[in-house]
Amino acid sequence: MSTPGTHVLSHADQAPGGTVLRSSRGIALRGLRAIVRLPSAFFPAMMMPIFQAIAFSGTFFAITKIPGFPTDRSINWFLPLAAVMGSGFSGVGVGFTTIRDLESGFFDRLRMAPVPRTALVIGPLLAVWVRTLLVLAAVTVVGVLFGARLTGGPMALLTLAAAGLGTATIGAGWSLGLAYRFRDMRAAALMQLGLFNAIFLTNAQAPLNVMTGWLHAVAKVNPFTNILRLGRQGFLGDVTWDGSWGGLVAIAVLTALAWLFAQTGLRRLDA
Amino acid sequence: MSKRSILAIVRQPALVLPSLIFPLFFAALGTSSFGRATALPGFPQVDSFLDFSLAGSVVQGVLFGSVTGGTALATDIELGFFDRLLATPTSRVSILLGRLAGAAAFGAAQALFFTVVLLPFGVSIKAGVAGVAVIVVSGALTAMAIGGFTAAMALRTGSSEAVQGSFPLLFIALFFSSAFFPRQNMDGAYKAVADANPISYLVEGIRGLTIEGFTAANVAKALLVPVGIGVASVALALRALRSRLAAR
Repeated sequence: MSTPGTHVLSHADQAPGGTVLRSSRGIALRGLRAIVRLPSAFFPAMMMPIFQAIAFSGTFFAITKIPGFPTDRSINWFLPLAAVMGSGFSGVGVGFTTIRDLESGFFDRLRMAPVPRTALVIGPLLAVWVRTLLVLAAVTVVGVLFGARLTGGPMALLTLAAAGLGTATIGAGWSLGLAYRFRDMRAAALMQLGLFNAIFLTNAQAPLNVMTGWLHAVAKVNPFTNILRLGRQGFLGDVTWDGSWGGLVAIAVLTALAWLFAQTGLRRLDA
Repeated sequence: MSKRSILAIVRQPALVLPSLIFPLFFAALGTSSFGRATALPGFPQVDSFLDFSLAGSVVQGVLFGSVTGGTALATDIELGFFDRLLATPTSRVSILLGRLAGAAAFGAAQALFFTVVLLPFGVSIKAGVAGVAVIVVSGALTAMAIGGFTAAMALRTGSSEAVQGSFPLLFIALFFSSAFFPRQNMDGAYKAVADANPISYLVEGIRGLTIEGFTAANVAKALLVPVGIGVASVALALRALRSRLAAR
């Protein structure tokens, strides 16, 4: 009988030295099979952003009437937030999986197998991206059914995907770094709280020009504000370079930092 | 039994910290994000959005904290402690009521905690000390009412994971109410759901004590809504207890 673990190892065995691509694909497929084998773990990650988009746009429907609010549809404001947040939590999911692997000893078997170290990073990341695209598609479809409009045309989907995939990549690096350091479920709360705070301490709920008080000062310097702006622009007007570059730079810098955090954690694990 | 369930909370504060921190975090975020919404037509007359937020924070905290009691009961069942209790000459009902009394004590403490913590940030309670007392009692009754549902689930399933699974349901019940924004400023199907949701009236009772004053209507909503929910949930929990005892 083949378990998920033996399946990955057999892929690596077939390729002496284990090519990065083949090993990464094996590890990614293992991560994706978990969606079918353990739907209870993936389903909440899919449902929560959908619920968030609907609940926030319903609860805070009236905030679009505040002078200066950039749209008259609350779903257009909250759908990108829910999509980006759901994507981030899809990324953090890889940290949970890694902790389970570390606790069960499977991760040690992976490290002993002729699998390139890079594949241990690229494989889970590929799985994260596929899961994120599923989340983004589901949230967008439900959002459109609830009245969201793509004011920026098809480019709105592209910038939303960029913001979502970027946040997922950052979330994955952050959570892997914590998983490698803590090696048990104590890290889970930190993974979620870190991302939750980073995204909510932005213009998540209201635009900067509508905010008052301390949050305005924090949101102005929080790079996730730029990432949300990138994802939102196609739902609030046209997609422009002005609305995009800040988010792209924030994704690039935060991705580099998060994955450096993950790499140093992996090295510590190897030491 | 009540003392045991309170001690469990004191000994493992990490279990209940999120139910204390998150409502405060949301209140702080809401005050900064939606401060200007208080000028919208239909929005209740308030000095600040924080005054408006207090009721939502209390109910949010108490609702989420109530899952802990049900989870603890399910854990007792999973670990066999529940069976050991049944082997002792203890009243069966006291096992359940003790747990609910512990939840009520924690709910009262949470309500007081949110009120006291938000006071220095400018919250003013128009109903005064008597209003605070009603808010604290309402917190206790709400915790007991929701604790009844989670205890019923624990007794039915015997699984702490299943009880934890009720969390999203409470989340939905809270968000589809007027906990975070007034019903007057909602629209369409969402407003219809919030109108039918008893949590809306509970929140509005507590909110009325904060922003309007001590009136019979506000006190009635703050106390009678959780009592009504509690009668149904405790009956469910007692039925689940009888089923579990009969199945032994």
